[in-house]
Amino acid sequence: MKRGIFLPLVTVLGFVFLYAPILSLIVFSFNESRLVTVWGGFSTRWYGQLFRDPQILNAAWISLRVAVVSASIAVVLGTLVAFVLMRFGRFRSRALLTGMATAPLVMPEVITGLSLLLLFVSMEQLLGWPAGRGETTIIIAHITFCLAYVAVVVQSRLAGMDQSVEEAAMDLGARPVRVFFDITLPIIAPALVAGWLLAFTLSLDDLVIASFVTGPGASTLPMVIFSKVRLGVSPDVNALATIIIGIVALGVGIAMWQMRRAIRRDRE
Amino acid sequence: MSQPQPSLAPKPWLSSEATPFVRIQKVTKKFGDFTAVDDVSLDIYRGELFCLLGGSGCGKSTLLRMLAGFETPTEGRIIIDGQDMAGIAPYDRPTNMMFQSYALFPHMTVEANVAYGLLREGVRKAEARERVAEMLRMVQLTQFARRKPHQLSGGQRQRVALARALVKQPKLLLLDEPLGALDKKLREETQYELIRIQETLGVTFIIVTHDQEEAMTLSTRIGVMNAGEIVQVGEPPEIYEFPKSRFVADFVGSVNIFPGRVVEDEPDFIRLDSPEMGGTIHVGHGVSCTLNQQMWFAIRPEKITVTRDRPDAEHNVVQGLVEEVLYMGNLTAFRIRLDSGKTIRATRANLSRQEHEPISWDERVWLHWGDTSGVVLAQ
Amino acid sequence: MTGARRVTESALGRLGLSGRALVVAVPLVWLLVFFLIPFLVVAKISLSEVTIARPPYLPLLEWDGLRATLNLNFENYAYLWNDPLYGNAYLFSVRVAFVSATLALLIGFPMAYYIARSPEPRRTLLLTAVILPFWTSFLLRVYAWQGFLRSNGVINNTLISLGIIDTPIVMLQTDFAVYIGIVYTYLPFMILPLYANLVKLDDSLLEASADLGGRPVATFFYVTLPLSMPGIIAGFMLVFVPAIGEFVIPELLGGPNTLMIGRVLWNEFFANRDWPVASAVAIAMLVVLVVPIMALRSAQARAEEKR
Repeated sequence: MKRGIFLPLVTVLGFVFLYAPILSLIVFSFNESRLVTVWGGFSTRWYGQLFRDPQILNAAWISLRVAVVSASIAVVLGTLVAFVLMRFGRFRSRALLTGMATAPLVMPEVITGLSLLLLFVSMEQLLGWPAGRGETTIIIAHITFCLAYVAVVVQSRLAGMDQSVEEAAMDLGARPVRVFFDITLPIIAPALVAGWLLAFTLSLDDLVIASFVTGPGASTLPMVIFSKVRLGVSPDVNALATIIIGIVALGVGIAMWQMRRAIRRDRE
Repeated sequence: MSQPQPSLAPKPWLSSEATPFVRIQKVTKKFGDFTAVDDVSLDIYRGELFCLLGGSGCGKSTLLRMLAGFETPTEGRIIIDGQDMAGIAPYDRPTNMMFQSYALFPHMTVEANVAYGLLREGVRKAEARERVAEMLRMVQLTQFARRKPHQLSGGQRQRVALARALVKQPKLLLLDEPLGALDKKLREETQYELIRIQETLGVTFIIVTHDQEEAMTLSTRIGVMNAGEIVQVGEPPEIYEFPKSRFVADFVGSVNIFPGRVVEDEPDFIRLDSPEMGGTIHVGHGVSCTLNQQMWFAIRPEKITVTRDRPDAEHNVVQGLVEEVLYMGNLTAFRIRLDSGKTIRATRANLSRQEHEPISWDERVWLHWGDTSGVVLAQ
Repeated sequence: MTGARRVTESALGRLGLSGRALVVAVPLVWLLVFFLIPFLVVAKISLSEVTIARPPYLPLLEWDGLRATLNLNFENYAYLWNDPLYGNAYLFSVRVAFVSATLALLIGFPMAYYIARSPEPRRTLLLTAVILPFWTSFLLRVYAWQGFLRSNGVINNTLISLGIIDTPIVMLQTDFAVYIGIVYTYLPFMILPLYANLVKLDDSLLEASADLGGRPVATFFYVTLPLSMPGIIAGFMLVFVPAIGEFVIPELLGGPNTLMIGRVLWNEFFANRDWPVASAVAIAMLVVLVVPIMALRSAQARAEEKR
């Protein structure tokens, strides 16, 4: 490939394409004017309005709770799936498990959402549980689709891991459960962290599935944002976006700094 | 070639009274349709340093993994120190293994790696620390105790793996290509180190290797494997000088092989007619064969002398043209095309620093070997 | 030393076995109940009749005290078949997804290549910059494009103030905006697998090609491209598959005529409250779109295993 201007140019344009909308979100969050596109002077009034909006605060709280709980459970279940598929060899229901663990990755959200809602309605009719829909049903739905993503991440880590390390532990007298907790788990820990973060983000980001399976009173943050955005321009959404971007950037910054430090420490 | 002496009775495999320490009895291992290990029986004695030698895919690693308990034999029994190993999990076996990849726990320090096995068998922390320190002293890694595996060189990792396997004082140590990942010089040093440790501790070693030189240097006995079967078991000189088949002769060291038909079969000599050689081969000892039987004559390059003038000998003299001369330092290797068209390899030790008019390309030379220098093989 | 204990038919062995079964059973049961059974429920409801009630469909099985009647109703499927709206929405979704994935590949490949060939500190930095937008809310990023594309939005305002155009270009609520939105959202999903593939590309292969007389273009088409095929396929699928069922992007950036199938299902369910038809749409989507994709993936996985 030509070592000319082409590659850097496309890359720069690509990053402009990725970041220009985000930058404009941030800039206009400090706009005095209600119009998101006309600059009316610097102001932080939308931030004030945001923090006085109980609907948004409440939704943010619900979303956070849902995301933490469903990411944590999804990590446990997803790790089990990955471990079983990578280490148990052949067993009955293996094909079934493989299919069910990968299908959510290609399943359109509308279908997942609809099917889970219909399940919850039917279960309520037949079993009386779950009584109504809300946070619990959202959590169940999020666990189900996040589990598949966690399983993929953990599976690739398990595949990349030298299996003789596990055998060595067993050879030195550790029983299978012990081997898992002493050896396998610490080695795949980065994948668990990555899987948790992925599940957390997916859950926090989900609009479609939550819209299907939620009930009265349980509106997640994306649902509130969506209804605001659909009605037209709302500068307080810009303010919210800026805060989220700030938190993410901070988190990534800390993670990178930590990584650098760990690498430097290893070199010494 | 220094032969380490087994720590107990000398050469227990020669005595009919000695009890084998490891008994592998008619063991077969199949993976689906593929037979990895095919009806192997083998006795190994206490204090031995036994090498399983073979090319890749010959089943030697599978055999080792069955001893460690990672694979279950499809058929047959494995008995270690009088105890049948069937149904005994790796963590309950009196064996320890040194893995080819070393399999050091990447998240633990050298110390923690070595201590791991002791802690699993319930050794108290203080005692474990002492034994680990002693072990690290033995493999000269004391100052690296607090390092993680990825901060060590290949040779250091190899020694950690060895220390970790040895610290539990196993009855039987299994080593899977223990020197494979080291460079040539380090490998030679480590070979002597392994022998020293093995003699000091008196542990029985079973080593898997594909490197025939390594097997020669290290072992009390060698088991050569091919296609899942043990094709010959013997002490290193026996394997080298008295191979039982063309495969062993060819796999261990370099060899010239000529097919021939038995034309004379006497109690104290036989003669083979070999068109490929362009004449008859005289073998100066009796061989169990029948007249007209197809046999193979194998002779190693260093047993053939190369001269300009016809040697004063009655048998085993042929003429050829030097095609290639390779100077290798300690010796010179010739490739010589016989009049029959077959090429033959011969080597000559470089005894003096400068030779007057050395044999060179395109010269016609005489080849000769003594009548007991080669081996006659039936297969 | 451990006394070698025999673990044959002992309680321990049986316990170990049931422990194993338990480890399999937990995720298996979860996925059965919350993933597989829901589709059976959807299939069931797609065969029932809509009604004004809670829930808004008639039961399949009626029990009048004497006998059971099975009311199987295939009308919902007939309706999908006869009304061109649905077929068009399917085809349109596939087209949008395909074009978007192609565009993302054209932009993503040079970016991934450049990042993969960058020296170390820059490489990690650029890669992080690619992933970073993914961690921020997807919805908010689509919302940002609304502000960019609308008639009095950033792009039109800039162009007008520069004197390039007089009247604003209509971009929002068009198919163009949907393409932009999808490419924008899924570009990182294209770049990451391509990067992972290209970073492993051995420099000496490119050098070998050059040494054997391959000019840069030839090297690219005969060496780089074939070797990066797994990455291209993975990236393409990662964009194509979720784009088909996309709801948010056509809803927020597209016009009323941008009918992608996910949006049709959503409207059928939330606006028309026609659960049976929505279910029929879902089942049709599953059969027409998801099943082939799954089959393709497993075929691909098997091919890779063989290699």
